[in-house]
Amino acid sequence: MPLYLCNAAKGAISDAAKPKIAADITRIHCEVTGAPPQFVHAFFVEEDASPPLSGKRAVLFGSIRAGRTDAQKAEIVARMRQSIESHAGIDLDAIGMMTTDLPASWAFEGGEVMPEPGEEAEWLARHHQPGAAE
Amino acid sequence: MITCTCIVQAGQIPAATEATLRANLNDFAERAFGEPADITWRAIPARSGFTAAKPSTSSIISMTASEPVPQPRRAALLKEMCELWVRETHRSLNEVVGVISDPQQ
Repeated sequence: MPLYLCNAAKGAISDAAKPKIAADITRIHCEVTGAPPQFVHAFFVEEDASPPLSGKRAVLFGSIRAGRTDAQKAEIVARMRQSIESHAGIDLDAIGMMTTDLPASWAFEGGEVMPEPGEEAEWLARHHQPGAAE
Repeated sequence: MITCTCIVQAGQIPAATEATLRANLNDFAERAFGEPADITWRAIPARSGFTAAKPSTSSIISMTASEPVPQPRRAALLKEMCELWVRETHRSLNEVVGVISDPQQ
């Protein structure tokens, strides 16, 4: 975690744009929250039932660890929508985004219950992979 | 029924393995929560999954418990659920994310 799942209308986000948006999602999440990049998953689907498009061309749904402030979440939403606008050429009005909080203790990654936000150092020390923390 | 969503990278899990995982997750849900699993299987298309901004090999298994789960039991169940996944897929624990949520109030 976090998991960012982007649903889009068919062809709205090209294969060339996906890695650029994924890189932005990873960078933005880490810059705003201080979380390490190896926790960040960004997945893209088309015409899926979830998250519902509800008339939008793209909708990004982020399941993030609980404990982030409203200001952090607002910054994440604003910057990630701008990334999709920039790389996919979709009007900002046609891009939806929401986040939901998931208690860290409910998730298991790397063979352990996830650390609380800000308490990743020991987890990272146990799971260090060359280049993973770059 | 216990809601269970599996998000995988397309082409990484053969059909026979998927069938075994579905059966094992159903058995797990019945053992852990006393109810069978209603499993939704979502495959992320090729070139569409990224972890740490690199092509992803990660799978996400998310289950919603039938009642609130005390944390020590949740941790044990998460470990069991992720290990059953790793055992069948021959992936590492670094490539699986497990979630066991409490039911919504």
